[in-house]
Amino acid sequence: MSRKPCEAAARPDQWVLIARDSLLDLPKKPGDGALFTRLRNPSTGEGALFLFSSCAQQLFEIKVFKEDYHSWFVGQTVQHDGRLFFATPMDALFLILYYLIKAEKEQGKFQPVDQVVVDEAFPSSCILLQCTRAMQSLHHVTEEKEIGSKKFYKYNKEKTLKWLKKKVVQTVKALKSNNICVGGSVHSATFIRSKQMLDVTEEDYTRYAHGLISEYVPEELSADLLKYLELPELSSPAAQPPVKKRKVSDVLVEAEEDYTKFNSTDLKKKKPSNKMTAAQKSLAKVDKSGMKNISSFFSPKSVSKK
Amino acid sequence: MMCENQPGALIKMDLGSLTQTAHDPIHLLPCEIQYDGHAAVDKYFTPTICQGVSAKEVSFRGRPLKGQEIKIPAGYIGLVVEENHRPCSEEEGRTVCMKSTFLSFTQWNLETLPSADDCAMMSLMWPKISEAIHRPVDSEE
Amino acid sequence: MELEKFERNNWGSCRLSSLVPPLCRNQHCCLGIDEAGRGPVLGPMVYGICFCPLSNKQDLEELKVADSKTLSEAERERLFEKLDSLKEYLGWALQILSPNVISTSMQQRVKYNLNALSHDTAIALIQYALDSGVQLREVFVDTVGPAEKYQEKLKQRFPELEITVKPKADSLFPIVSAASICAKVARDRAVKSWKFLEDLGDVNLDYGSGYPNDPKTKEWLARNLDPVFGYPQFVRFSWSTAQTIVDSRAVPVRWDDCDGDEKSSSKGSQSMLSFFARKKDDTKHQPHRFFQERKLETVKDL
Repeated sequence: MSRKPCEAAARPDQWVLIARDSLLDLPKKPGDGALFTRLRNPSTGEGALFLFSSCAQQLFEIKVFKEDYHSWFVGQTVQHDGRLFFATPMDALFLILYYLIKAEKEQGKFQPVDQVVVDEAFPSSCILLQCTRAMQSLHHVTEEKEIGSKKFYKYNKEKTLKWLKKKVVQTVKALKSNNICVGGSVHSATFIRSKQMLDVTEEDYTRYAHGLISEYVPEELSADLLKYLELPELSSPAAQPPVKKRKVSDVLVEAEEDYTKFNSTDLKKKKPSNKMTAAQKSLAKVDKSGMKNISSFFSPKSVSKK
Repeated sequence: MMCENQPGALIKMDLGSLTQTAHDPIHLLPCEIQYDGHAAVDKYFTPTICQGVSAKEVSFRGRPLKGQEIKIPAGYIGLVVEENHRPCSEEEGRTVCMKSTFLSFTQWNLETLPSADDCAMMSLMWPKISEAIHRPVDSEE
Repeated sequence: MELEKFERNNWGSCRLSSLVPPLCRNQHCCLGIDEAGRGPVLGPMVYGICFCPLSNKQDLEELKVADSKTLSEAERERLFEKLDSLKEYLGWALQILSPNVISTSMQQRVKYNLNALSHDTAIALIQYALDSGVQLREVFVDTVGPAEKYQEKLKQRFPELEITVKPKADSLFPIVSAASICAKVARDRAVKSWKFLEDLGDVNLDYGSGYPNDPKTKEWLARNLDPVFGYPQFVRFSWSTAQTIVDSRAVPVRWDDCDGDEKSSSKGSQSMLSFFARKKDDTKHQPHRFFQERKLETVKDL
């Protein structure tokens, strides 16, 4: 493969992506395709990558599974970048809502939506107006006025909160049906299922769903939604229990240390979860469960060639 | 505020290229191979995979791997997307096309049995939860 | 010797054995242990045991079995057939450790060194003889590592046995020489008939003795390197000879437990500092734990 000098820097030129199959609905016009673009994340206000299906029929959110020390084999090639991209359908109304709220604060009047969704930093934002379904659902978050053939909109907080609450309710349902651990900080898909039944409350689910929905709305609205859901505000930063990615096998090792509170995400993120500290290593040496038991060499290996 | 008003912010995805794409076997390895390009997977890797008692087994560079087949969630498809030509100037638009598709991949761990606790496995829950967050709300409720 | 059993699973470990002579179940026996193929960077390592009643020791002397290393390959083959024919009083068993087992054991997260692997294999073979009803009394072992330590380890494991661990035991005790011949013959045959699991096409098989200092072996290793995979499973990746070539000429590969990783040296202090430092940023947006736990992030670009 010939590369131009300007491409010398090691940038990925291949990506592994999991996408809703509707993304592949063929374009109506030849030469038309899907479009990756940057839009404003309504929660952080920062730019993030999104994907429009052809003719902007559907907006997709892009998330990336990124863990250290992974690469892909794709057919007869190796891809150094071991990330896994997700393109999941996204409710474009969340992105439009950001601008409606902004307009309400700045102008506080009824306006055509194409005057509201204007963002010099993210010019692709105007493509949102082509998302038919989002345009048809503006009534969830606005008051509407029709003058002549033109529609005018104004952000309505009460309607928005009602709409968001429905989102929370349907998210809670999905969290339950998919056995997502919303309670304690120790989690293991195999272990938690039984534990979850015992001590996880409805409030835990609602709070967790609220947290997820908050990823898509401005901070202020997230706080209002918390009140609207009648969830008491937690004073300590423990509102979100510290994330501890613990494997069942780690529990014993970690329990030996009395500074476990340092052993949370921050530390874990800095180092690969499987990397052992010197202390863990010596413990692991005592417990040789990680070692191949010699008897396994001699037991008839029940392995069959594929 | 940073101005992102540049064509480079848009990357077109050529769906027309989809029709010619083949299925490619896909493996997620538990190590970082610092190379992009040809790999003789069918020579060295595929023929040495064996089905052990509780997982697939193989070795890579003399280290033992244990693997499991992971299916892409229903309604989803795996895509390998490539950019054949990265433009030199910011004015030139970028285009990516489909290289291949897949419906499952093999996730490999170093020594440990793959489990539902592996982050890669857990991340695949995202489409289901995302669906609940982003599905239009039922109006009549 | 039904080597096919190993050939069907040459990525694993395999035991081959003779029938246990009924005499060995009724009379006090001696047992010798030796290994073959410890040094080479290619092919399997084989552990052999031979056992016979103490009363038949003299018969073995008369066979003129000597240290397998002083014999030609043809002489070893002839002697093995001879030994194998003494079915009324002589039994043998072999444990073949494939190069893949050696590589993957030695390169586990918790390293399993070659001496430990050797000792455990020898112990398992003694146990096999005991389990088969052989009335073991005396065990002679060619040493792997320091003889005294090894002898101590074996004595602890088998207090009822009289154990002698000696360097060059294969030239001192005929029963060890016999074991040595069995092991060496199996190793030679396994290497000669090696079936590559890999789909290598016409691979050049002129790899010499497999010893790291053999120029032919060196050349074979130099020429048969794959930039991504390194070598077929026939090569012991854990041998420094192979490792050096892979490290210097193949594509770099990083694992989460690679020591000497530039990041790991200062990791302890660094992570503690970053814990305190991050407290300040906590006001900044942190993704919901659903995403953190799944290592899901947002991106700004492809």
